Amino acid sequence: MNVKNLSKSCMMGQRQRAGRKGSLSNRTPDGITVGIQDSPKHNICMVSDFFYPNMGGVESHIYQLSQCLIERGHKVVIATHAYGNRRGVRYLTNGLKVYYLPLQVMYNQSTATSCFHSLPLLRSVFVRERITVVHAHSSFSAMAHDSLFHAKTMGLNTVFTDHSLFGFADVSSVLTNKLLTVSLCDTSHIICVSYTSKENTVLRATLDPEIVSVIPNAVDPTDFTPDPSQRDDSKITIVVVSRLVYRKGIDLLGGIIPELCLKYPDLQFIIGGEGPKRIVLEEVREKYQLHDRVRLLGALEHKDVRKVLIQGHIFLNTSLTEAFCMAIVEGASCGLQVVSTRVGGIPEVLPEELITLCEPTVSSLCQGLEMVIAKQQSGSVPPPAAIHSRVQTLYTWRNVADRTEKVYDRVAKEVVLPLDGRLDRLRAHCGPVAGSIFAFVAVLDFLFLLLLQWFVPDSVIDIAVDASGPRGLWRRARTRQKEPSANCHKDTGTGNGEHLYGALFKKR
Amino acid sequence: MVLKIFFPQCCNMAASGLLIGHWLPGQDSAVVLAVVHYPFIPGQVKRYLSQLRNESQVELAVLGSWSMPKDGQEGMESFLRDLSTIFPQGRWLQLSREMGKKGFTCRVVQRDGGLLGEEGENGDGDGDGDGDGDGDGDGDGDGDGDGDGDGDGDGGRVIFIHYDQRKVMLCQLHPPEGGARGVGAVIGGEESSELRLVFSAVAQSQPLFFTDKYDDGPLKLTHWQSEGREGSIIVELAKHASVPVCLLLTWLLSLWTWLCSVTNLQPVRFVSSKLSTCVQLSYRTEHLQIVSSPKTALGHSESMRKANIFVSFFVDVALGLLLISWLYQENRISRLANTLVPVADHVAKELQELLQWLMGAPAGFKMNRALDQVLGRFFLYHIHLWISYIHLMSPFIERILWYVGLCACLGLTFALSVLSDIVALLTFHIYCFYVYGARLYCLKIYGLSSLWRLFRGKKWNVLRQRVDSCSYDMDQLFIGTLLFTVLLFLLPTTALYYLVFTLLRLVVVLFQGLIHLSVDFINSFPLFAMGLRLCRPYRLAEGVKFRVLCEEPGKPLHLMMEINPLGYGSVLQWYRTPTYSCYPKDSWAALCKKLFVGELVYPWRHKGTKID
Amino acid sequence: MSDDEEFTDINGKVIFLACQNHSSFCREFTVSVPKVSLRHVMVYTCSVWLVAYVVFFLTENTAVLSGAIFVTLVGMLLHVHFVKIDHETLLIIGSLGVQVSSSYASGRESTTFIEMSKIKDIVINESIYMQRVIYYLCILLKEPTDPDALSSVVPLFQSSKPRLNCLVKVYKSCQEILAQC
Repeated sequence: MNVKNLSKSCMMGQRQRAGRKGSLSNRTPDGITVGIQDSPKHNICMVSDFFYPNMGGVESHIYQLSQCLIERGHKVVIATHAYGNRRGVRYLTNGLKVYYLPLQVMYNQSTATSCFHSLPLLRSVFVRERITVVHAHSSFSAMAHDSLFHAKTMGLNTVFTDHSLFGFADVSSVLTNKLLTVSLCDTSHIICVSYTSKENTVLRATLDPEIVSVIPNAVDPTDFTPDPSQRDDSKITIVVVSRLVYRKGIDLLGGIIPELCLKYPDLQFIIGGEGPKRIVLEEVREKYQLHDRVRLLGALEHKDVRKVLIQGHIFLNTSLTEAFCMAIVEGASCGLQVVSTRVGGIPEVLPEELITLCEPTVSSLCQGLEMVIAKQQSGSVPPPAAIHSRVQTLYTWRNVADRTEKVYDRVAKEVVLPLDGRLDRLRAHCGPVAGSIFAFVAVLDFLFLLLLQWFVPDSVIDIAVDASGPRGLWRRARTRQKEPSANCHKDTGTGNGEHLYGALFKKR
Repeated sequence: MVLKIFFPQCCNMAASGLLIGHWLPGQDSAVVLAVVHYPFIPGQVKRYLSQLRNESQVELAVLGSWSMPKDGQEGMESFLRDLSTIFPQGRWLQLSREMGKKGFTCRVVQRDGGLLGEEGENGDGDGDGDGDGDGDGDGDGDGDGDGDGDGDGDGGRVIFIHYDQRKVMLCQLHPPEGGARGVGAVIGGEESSELRLVFSAVAQSQPLFFTDKYDDGPLKLTHWQSEGREGSIIVELAKHASVPVCLLLTWLLSLWTWLCSVTNLQPVRFVSSKLSTCVQLSYRTEHLQIVSSPKTALGHSESMRKANIFVSFFVDVALGLLLISWLYQENRISRLANTLVPVADHVAKELQELLQWLMGAPAGFKMNRALDQVLGRFFLYHIHLWISYIHLMSPFIERILWYVGLCACLGLTFALSVLSDIVALLTFHIYCFYVYGARLYCLKIYGLSSLWRLFRGKKWNVLRQRVDSCSYDMDQLFIGTLLFTVLLFLLPTTALYYLVFTLLRLVVVLFQGLIHLSVDFINSFPLFAMGLRLCRPYRLAEGVKFRVLCEEPGKPLHLMMEINPLGYGSVLQWYRTPTYSCYPKDSWAALCKKLFVGELVYPWRHKGTKID
Repeated sequence: MSDDEEFTDINGKVIFLACQNHSSFCREFTVSVPKVSLRHVMVYTCSVWLVAYVVFFLTENTAVLSGAIFVTLVGMLLHVHFVKIDHETLLIIGSLGVQVSSSYASGRESTTFIEMSKIKDIVINESIYMQRVIYYLCILLKEPTDPDALSSVVPLFQSSKPRLNCLVKVYKSCQEILAQC
């Protein structure tokens, strides 16, 4: 309880500090405790270029984490860029508010960055939603880095979650790593999804490992339940569900398919996903006349993934790099035998008896697959239900949210570096050239902020009506009407004892 | 629920009588159309109404009573109530107004005799309905609830909406924001809207308004009166004359179209589709066919269309005659012809110089000398041919111009189209150069792109419309690479010629495009609709607007319904005659792409690509 | 009946909201902005004329001066006629409809009337406007074929852009009337 009081007083301090900027004239005390837990409630803004309607790991991570944080009584808003016609402000389940900001998309759904042009919009969002913690996701997202930069300028606490691994050798990696160093050197806390990812990030961004936590991703086990009746047991079915891009090793898959199909006449492939490498698979299919044995399903919606997974016996993942592979957890949760490449954080994800790891080569993968096929044919694999019950308790969003909340609590106690400290840090941390350049950019950003504050003072920005959080109107309206249709997962066994990486989160 | 009574302004000062009107189905609103004055015989009123109902297809009924006691006519109350039993209705309205007080009182009696509500009187402008809401102040009404029911003042609230009967009758209501564009969609759409129903009820009950107030019929009515028909003899004469004129025109047109279809063989058709004069001719024929068709125009949009075409045709011909009168004075034609040949000569000379320049080292670029010389000589020879052709033609040009100029009497659009055609014919050499250059360039680009695919071990799969990977053998790769290099190094020379001739061509296309635009503007501009909008703004309505006449609380609300005229932009959008410029055109990006890959660009639009 | 209340628009400038009760189901809201201030006109005119005078001084061409006068006059006319909106009015008549009108400084008025049968609701919405996120009041229109679907949105008080507290006041008042019918 001592800690709690301390945190509260720190929150107050934080607030007073921010109050200096005049943004908080009508801020309500957010020490109000509603609901389950007796900890301070945060106003969190998740920023990433990747969000629904784009589909992928980062997107579902943000969504599920936000839902669980709302359930715990925090206020969460999401800021992303506009997707086609979807722009403006939208609400999702449980009053999750999403700002689709009109920023120009440059490449691969990532926005173009000029370090400054997104400041007015992001400032507007941060001020009107009275944000205390800015949580950026994915190092591929320019918008996330921009928001970190601006949040630090505005004196808000920042958290960053890294979802991917990078190399060190090639030119583009060197450049991105430099940018990452700059972006993360004064970020309050960083979250990685696996230990491999943590190592990678710490090395790339030359960070203090103390401020990097590992919180794995999770899947919703209730969404991925096995159903052996859907399988066709006269054949052996290998399922691949991934985006068909280079990073996911689709070229490897193109090598595996003909080799195995020649050997096993009762083997078939079901491949879900869409991408530029689809042509590779189509050519393989046509070249070897495998139209009846290789089914390309195209882009899948998230709700259809289970329908595809339960038709298979073996789940194959051929990724070349992966920080934390959610797909293999989903596959295992549906009771499939998982075969995967031994890259990145994948070895950490599942216990050894649930996964067969191979090297990322065609021959090694074929070997591994043959072994699993032999097991399958001999019937010595554990029943799907057993696998499911094993996986069920490994990763839950509740747990993720719990641990993320602790990060927020810790971050809220810290003091954001003032401008001079930040400049010193940049110069000391990022080398003389890049450090000086970005220190200059930071000063410009600060001046731009002052200019904006002069044009549109914080006092004339309307404070938004909360949809979620302690004073959220959504929940009240919903409960008045009917049972809240909670999309957040009511998982049962969050005992934590069973956790593979139960004590991952270092408590300080 | 609120009861809405649409009340015509002209009945504000009418003497007491019966209200005739129409209950809108499903809506809580009544449209008052006229007042029948005392004395009347109920049987006659009923007969008259049923007769009108047959004529106008509107459910006309007696809505209630209207009383405006002059003086000393007390004791009307019981009489008015008795009236409701004579004309059985679901609801019976009792409107009354007192002379000095400028006030309305409304009482609604239900069929079962219950008094639904009463409203005090309130101010309203006299006669012209322009009461600016100063109110009368003395709102006592006769709210004593003397009826057989209980005067629950809350249950039935009433809005009076005053309207100008003439304007509403003549007005054409357009659906908001031209979602379905084009003239055909003016009518139709949802008829459920309340205002639309009011407008159609008033417009359909036109037979009611034919009874004049000087008529010696058994009934005396008050409603909008037309101010007689002036100049009706001329109108009648024109009407009678129009029938044979139309028949004659139709016959002539059918003869003309028959002639066209007989001569419409392959080469003729091809040439005529490229000549803008012929295209214009076919448009005019089509327009005249529409105007002179013996069928009467169905609905508003069609008649508007006819009128638009008619007016723009006349304006066009008038402008054309003006042009002729200017052109055939002071020997302007021969002067024009005398300047034309030197200009053409001069252009050819300039082109020759340009080619000489290109054959050297243009702008310091070093071209492939052999190809450069070949291309340059080829084009030079062409220009030589062209010059001799012009000189051969020069004695006849004046005569040709003289005859061709006569076609301006068909309209200014014809004169412009002829001008466009003449320009096209006189710049034929530029067109030829452009086509040669473009074909050559296109061939190179095409070859380069397919060899580039070969270079990367890919090929274009025609069946699946995609790029497949393909393994070539050594010889193929060698030859391909060799050809690729050759083509790549020859590309700049070709591209330069292409660029220069394309720029020349674009100047011509731009000029022709401007002429086509102006022709199209004259063809499609809805002159009649614009004039109507300018002089009779209420005829084309976008919607209505309301003005509050009374501002006192607790009194029935009096609103003035005015007509909100259509904006000029929307008039243009609704009524422009569809021509080919209405159809979606190539965007600028598409044009640039065409230029880049060397496809041919034309100022005219192929009829086949028209999207209907 | 009418009372002028002072509010601010999204840029912090003062606007006035007048609420007029014609009857229990007919209300009129007028948002008016301050008139064209003389100082602004003076500043603009003086700056244009100064520039013109400098050019005249350099080129000694009197056409510049007359051009400047012409430009100022035409600019002012266009501004007053097409740009500067003096007040915006929302007239809501229960069971009949909603009328939105805006009158320009020159007295030109543009009016739209929307029937009640087409209106689904009146709501306060959020949108992104000029690098900011703002609240605005809007009318939701029904799809004519499907009464549950939304066909389009008509924003209200587009030029004055009042802040949330003002919008809430108008919104509550509108909802009272909409609830009655």
